[in-house]
Amino acid sequence: MKDNEFSNSRRDFLKRTGLASLGLLSCSALSAAIPSGNGRLGGLLGALGPDEAQAAPEIIDIKDKLRTTFGSRKVEMSHVDMKTPIIAENGAVVPIKISSDLPMNSGDYVKRIYIFADKNHNPFIASMDLTPANGKAALALRIKMRQTSQVRAILETSNGKLYGSTKTVKVTIGGCGG
Amino acid sequence: MPRIGKIKIRVPRSIHKGEVIAIKTLITHPMETGFRKDKKTKKKIPAFYISDVSMYYGDTLISRADWTIAVSTNPFMTFYVKADKTAPLKIVWKDIRGGVYEKTIQIKPQ
Amino acid sequence: MIKKNNLLKTFVFAAALLVGMGTSSFWAGKAIAADSKDAGTIEDLTPSMSYAEYQKRYEAYYGDATAQMAEEGNPADFLLDDGKDLANKVVGSKGKSCASCHGKDALKLKGVATGYPKYNAALGGIMTIPLQINTCLKQAMGAKPLKYESYDQLALTMYVKSLSNGMPIKVSIDGPAQPFYKKGEAAYYKRQGQLNFSCAICHVQYAGYKARSNLISNNKHHVDHWPSYRLKWGKTGSLQRRFRGCLKNMRAKRQPYQSEEYRNMELYLTYINNGDLIQVPGMRM
Repeated sequence: MKDNEFSNSRRDFLKRTGLASLGLLSCSALSAAIPSGNGRLGGLLGALGPDEAQAAPEIIDIKDKLRTTFGSRKVEMSHVDMKTPIIAENGAVVPIKISSDLPMNSGDYVKRIYIFADKNHNPFIASMDLTPANGKAALALRIKMRQTSQVRAILETSNGKLYGSTKTVKVTIGGCGG
Repeated sequence: MPRIGKIKIRVPRSIHKGEVIAIKTLITHPMETGFRKDKKTKKKIPAFYISDVSMYYGDTLISRADWTIAVSTNPFMTFYVKADKTAPLKIVWKDIRGGVYEKTIQIKPQ
Repeated sequence: MIKKNNLLKTFVFAAALLVGMGTSSFWAGKAIAADSKDAGTIEDLTPSMSYAEYQKRYEAYYGDATAQMAEEGNPADFLLDDGKDLANKVVGSKGKSCASCHGKDALKLKGVATGYPKYNAALGGIMTIPLQINTCLKQAMGAKPLKYESYDQLALTMYVKSLSNGMPIKVSIDGPAQPFYKKGEAAYYKRQGQLNFSCAICHVQYAGYKARSNLISNNKHHVDHWPSYRLKWGKTGSLQRRFRGCLKNMRAKRQPYQSEEYRNMELYLTYINNGDLIQVPGMRM
């Protein structure tokens, strides 16, 4: 057993992860060439079907997602109430409740509710299109969260204004919950 | 195992005309993310989820939801409807493999 | 240089281990049955706080979130419907269904769940509803018993229990049930596993405190809402599944479903829950 193999010195660690990330990058380059399956794991696991392509683990940054969705528009943090648990023992079922006092009249109504979880691979969770017939801009959903992160509810009105609320939800492998 | 596409819809018992009511929906569906591996075969379980939900009040499409893999298994959703007329409320769920599941309930405001 | 780093790590790890062990022996309490194999003495444990204080903390931590979620949309409700269908379904060599003996939709079983678990002479032990279902399948119906925790087993158990919804639990520990009740209590209090915990240490003495992100529940109302949907599982499961979950985290050996010890423990816990109303399916974190 050589000392080098078990070396925990910083230099070695960086070297290893550096090589590892190069390896991953080359895998994604390869997988881009493969028609089915995108993303790094897709390349490693071989051909996947078109469904799988949609679920490939490509990580999207929340800031990029918000920018592509809303451009440079600002979100006003008011008029939206969001209820989330403080701690979710299972990231797979996190109950979210969104409600708002914004009007739902034909001239001025909330036309879409967006839900994002910052640290999910794809931070976009779901959206709902509304019309004045809904009567209220409110939605409850149970969502999956990859890890502790902020959850954002953003409401877009028919006038293009954005209102929102964010909450941090801790995702943990609980205590004694067997 | 529960069949995919079993639906429960909860509507308030008494509805006043013009009242904004909560419609609570539950449907069985694995909402498979495509990330999980089968424990026995070690192969990835392909993604399989509901991507679209449409709500019709009478003949009008009043609301639509876009879902991703990040909606929990056996999805539960509550949305609201202004009960201004006696008409059927139809909800249609569509998954990425062409599965279509729907249920209609009557909205009868007093 | 590298060797020294490893040594330091080992040292820190060993120190942490000793601290951990020290902490668990802090919980060792007074008279203990060190040998987990024997029936065990009942440790003298008192709750660390009043039940009112416990309820306050439970409310503050979980609120009515779970009750609300159960009322809004409990995925376990699907099992109720399926349970009813299964009760009417003919299965087995004798061409019977549950309904053949218990009436359409097994409605004659209304109220029966309040008395379970109970002593059964033919079994020579404590009978639980899942075991009774399998016994009926095998003997009365000539059918294959259902695997425990399978969807159909849970659905039938839940449906039968739901027929007693709103009725108070009323199990007996008189006569032949008494020794099994005592065994259940002993099993509940016995120290076991790598951490030397017992069920009672947490759920009697430390109820109301937190074990990492869980608020430890008081065992007074442990039984009335099972089978239950748990967000943690993303699925519906039985009380015994919950036993096994706790035991796994306690680093204790787990027994198969419907083992004698689990059935005795179920009797013990249900007796404590006597008087409370059955409310299935439950929905909890």
